Amino acid sequence: MKKKILCLAAVAAVGLAAGASLTSCSKKEIFHIYAWNTEFQGYFNKYVSDEKNNDDSNAVHHLNGVEVKWTITPSDNGAYQKALDEALANNESFSEDEKVDMFLAEADYILKYVNSDATLDVKTAYGVNDFSQAYKYTVDQVTDTSGVVKGASFQCCPAGLIYRRSIAKAVLGTDDPTEVQKHVATWEKYNETADLMAAAGNKMTASFADTYRVYSNNAASPWVKDNKLEVPAFVNTWMDQAKDQLDKGETTTYGVWDGEKSAEFKKTGKTFCTFGPAWYYNFCMGPAMGNGTASTAPDETKDNYSPDHTWGDWAVVKGPQAYFWGGTWLLGAKGGNNTDLVGKTMNAFLKDEEILKKLVVDDGQFSNNKKVNGAVATENETQKKGNGFLGGQNDTKIWVDMADSIVVKNNTIYDQLCNEGIQTAFGKFLKGELDSKEKVLPEFYADIARSYPTLVIPSSK
Amino acid sequence: MQSTQINIENSSNIEGLNEVENKPKKKLSYTKWGYIFIASFFVIYLIFTLVPQLLTIYDSFFDYDPFSGILVTDAHPEFCGFLNYQRLFQENALGVIEIYQTIGNTLIMWIIGAIPQMVIALILALIFTSTRLKLKGTGFFKTAFYMPNLIMASAFSALFLMLFSQIGPIYTLFKDMGWIPEHFDFVVNKTSARLMVAFLNFIMWFGNTTILLMAGIQSIDESIFESARIDGASTRRVLFDMTLPLLKPIVVYVLITSMIGGLQMFDVPQVLTNKAKNSGTRTIIMLLNDYLNMKNYGRAGAISVILFIITAVLSIFVFKTINKKEDR
Repeated sequence: MKKKILCLAAVAAVGLAAGASLTSCSKKEIFHIYAWNTEFQGYFNKYVSDEKNNDDSNAVHHLNGVEVKWTITPSDNGAYQKALDEALANNESFSEDEKVDMFLAEADYILKYVNSDATLDVKTAYGVNDFSQAYKYTVDQVTDTSGVVKGASFQCCPAGLIYRRSIAKAVLGTDDPTEVQKHVATWEKYNETADLMAAAGNKMTASFADTYRVYSNNAASPWVKDNKLEVPAFVNTWMDQAKDQLDKGETTTYGVWDGEKSAEFKKTGKTFCTFGPAWYYNFCMGPAMGNGTASTAPDETKDNYSPDHTWGDWAVVKGPQAYFWGGTWLLGAKGGNNTDLVGKTMNAFLKDEEILKKLVVDDGQFSNNKKVNGAVATENETQKKGNGFLGGQNDTKIWVDMADSIVVKNNTIYDQLCNEGIQTAFGKFLKGELDSKEKVLPEFYADIARSYPTLVIPSSK
Repeated sequence: MQSTQINIENSSNIEGLNEVENKPKKKLSYTKWGYIFIASFFVIYLIFTLVPQLLTIYDSFFDYDPFSGILVTDAHPEFCGFLNYQRLFQENALGVIEIYQTIGNTLIMWIIGAIPQMVIALILALIFTSTRLKLKGTGFFKTAFYMPNLIMASAFSALFLMLFSQIGPIYTLFKDMGWIPEHFDFVVNKTSARLMVAFLNFIMWFGNTTILLMAGIQSIDESIFESARIDGASTRRVLFDMTLPLLKPIVVYVLITSMIGGLQMFDVPQVLTNKAKNSGTRTIIMLLNDYLNMKNYGRAGAISVILFIITAVLSIFVFKTINKKEDR
């Protein structure tokens, strides 16, 4: 009996202690960030956090001594937007450690947050005023209808055609970017090259949707106008080209983000090219990167080494049409407490030249700072060095040449689901599930109508 | 009874409290404790089940904006009468009424999973409980059959997704054997996706059904079987004229629970085919989830109400049929 009582007392004591630690926890200050993947988290940990590394050795990272908490929700089917909407709508009533301080958003849906009261003016709220070195489109994208800037981008995303040097050499006889560009300078040339690739037993791209963004980010009209869904003209052009290439065996039915596609970037892969900006190397070409970076070659001695990598066997050119793709903006959430930390993070990625130089040189990214990008491009040019992943090519110079001409136009708050939806519907047709191309649009309309019941959908019958 | 009375009288006499004598006879009742103990269930049911259920019905009469909370902060959802219900029965751009399509999908996948599940579970239960066979190691088999149920449905589906993906081993095998056309995708094709969902549900639940049926068979009085055997009844006769009729209540119970579970089928098809937006495996709960995802609580509420009505009708129907037969 005595033993039992002792036991109970011990359990109660443990319970009390646990309770006590919980209450002390909830009073602790927390810098809370919402994101849809860990890309930015990596750069934040490495360059801004107190720990200044992205190793697994740190369970949590800190900024100015404040613990940083990340809530990551993948963005498929609007799941990230949903989680974010719920959090932002209730942010002011959340407890201290639940409050969202900062969140990440991308071009496809950013307007929704920029034009809402849930985000704050970065100048007055966070002391972020110096956009002199930022690319204009990155500021335009987060400027609301009354001219207030609501966020900052940590990258600039001009995008081009990334090709495999060894395949270029074997089929086109050269792997020199200037020469290869001639083979893909227009869509006609691109299609001819695709035929050459197929004749040599290769594929042009590893996904039917690889070319999608080249067309969509040059769209002449928006997806939604006056609350009416209007499919832009590029969709047909893209579908015809993709279907033709699939029929000729020049591409596959894999989706843009599928693991099947990135497996094609391995040594055994037979794919000539893909499309993307600087973030694409790290983020989508993992199997090609091995465990290397822009400045270091893959390291055999490390556990995550794979001999299948194609590090150094790639290069980038402008391709048939200049475009930009993606970009991650940092926005401050109304109701958050740590305004100083939000400001510090935004300013670090806008103007801390030391950090940004590392981001460009070591990580192969293209920063949102003209001065830093320009300096790296010139330095690479004079010292004859560049991105190791691209066989030493000075890709920064290519991006610098393209970046100034990026213009954001025809953006709507519906873009994410429209861009995803049309690719899925068309993919179903390519996989034989829809028996004619005419059914692609109705399939897409049905999908959008479920998501946005208030939109006027064209009648398809 | 008498002795208690005496005791009370005695005690009151001893303490000299005269008022006690005027009080009515004390009767011992434990009913209140019974109510207190079951109250916890009702309180929890009321707060966490009944109130949300009523709110769902209430919500189904309001028109929600997909941008509410962010772009539309001050607007309250508008009352719209039966508009949400009406719109559920409208054709989409493909000329399909999605609610019928999803209910149809749910039923088809439930039936192709549940029928083999019942048949195989019944056979296994009969084998394991057979006093003639006296199988050894039934404990091991029972555990092995039940195992799949312990794995999370989503994890199981994710595993299948990998096995059948375009670089997965099964896809590669099928392709090399020439069994599937070019560009085929298991999760995009209607038939293959439905079969996969049904198969997963079957694998996950047949062990559970086997155990329930075994319990049912074992609860039948063994002496009835013995006397039948002494009277010279064949195994076949014992099975069809004794075991199965006596097992009916359990079979019906298994059927109802399986059907209600089947109507709410969600996790397996969601993980397996939602990314592919396969309209042949979209179940009614997946449709509901699509609306919830876009904060369309009105439309989602309307689906919940319809599903509630369907479940209620089916349950009443099945209950009525068993009771009738048992009365005879």
